[in-house]
Amino acid sequence: MTYFNLGKVIFMDSAKLMSIREDSGVKIIEIKTDLSSYAASDLRKVLEGLLAEKIDKVVVNLSQVSHINSTAVGALVGVAKRLRQNGGDLKICALADNLTRTFNLIGASSVVEIYESEKSALAAF
Amino acid sequence: MEKAYIELKIPSTVFYIEPVRAFIGNLTQSLGFSRKRVADIQLVLDEICSNAINHGSANATVGIKLQICIDSEALEILVRDTGRGDTREHNWLALERLSEIEAKRAPSNERGHGIFIVRSLADAHEMASNEAGGTDVRVIFHREN
Repeated sequence: MTYFNLGKVIFMDSAKLMSIREDSGVKIIEIKTDLSSYAASDLRKVLEGLLAEKIDKVVVNLSQVSHINSTAVGALVGVAKRLRQNGGDLKICALADNLTRTFNLIGASSVVEIYESEKSALAAF
Repeated sequence: MEKAYIELKIPSTVFYIEPVRAFIGNLTQSLGFSRKRVADIQLVLDEICSNAINHGSANATVGIKLQICIDSEALEILVRDTGRGDTREHNWLALERLSEIEAKRAPSNERGHGIFIVRSLADAHEMASNEAGGTDVRVIFHREN
C-alpha cells in the first residue's frame, strides 16, 4: 500500500481517506471515513504499516467517524495488543455515542484506552 | 400499512456494503426509527453482509441477496448467501463452527464478534441453511412509532 506520511491525506486504492501526522513522537491517525468492512481492511493495512516502521505510540482520532463495525474494532484491538508487547500503545479518542456503544458491546473498551479528546489521549502517553 | 418489499442484490465484495448501509440508514430514518436504533440497524446489516461476503460466497460474482420487508409493526431484513462451495466451509452456519466462534469470543479477540452483535442488537434473529447451500440470516426490528 502506498501512503504519504505526516500531514498529507492518504489516498488509497479507493475513495477512503485518512491522514497521519505526528505530535511529540506520537503518530496521530485521523480517520475521515466511516469504518465498514472495506475501509476497515485499509485501516488494518495502514496500522500494520506503522508496526513495520517500528512506530510504538499511536493515537487514532475517530471524531469524523459515524459508524464502525467489529472488523475495524478488531483491527484497533489487535494493533494495540501488539504495540503493548513492544512497550508502546494505541489509544483511541473522540468517539461518537454510537461508536462508544459498539466498543462497550464488544468489550473492546476494556482492552483499548479511550479518551474524550486527542489532547487527553496524547497526554496519557 | 400494507407490507412493502424491497429486494437488492450486490456483488460479493465488501465495497458494496457501504452504499447498502447508507441506503438502510436513509430507509430506517424515513420509517421513524430513532437515531440510536438507525445506527444499531446499520451495524447489524454491516455485520451480516460482511459474514455473507467473507464466509458465504464462493467468489465476488455470486452476490448476496437482501430482502427487506416493512409493515406497520416491524422492519425485517433477510440476507441470503450461496455458500463457499467447498467441503469444509460450504455453509458458515455449520453448527460446530458457529458454536466454536461463540465459545471463543472474548473482548480482546480481533475477530468473531459479528454474530454476537447481531444477537445483541436485533429484536429477533434467525439463522438457517438454505437450499443453495448457503446461509439465510433474518433479523427483525420493531417499529418505534
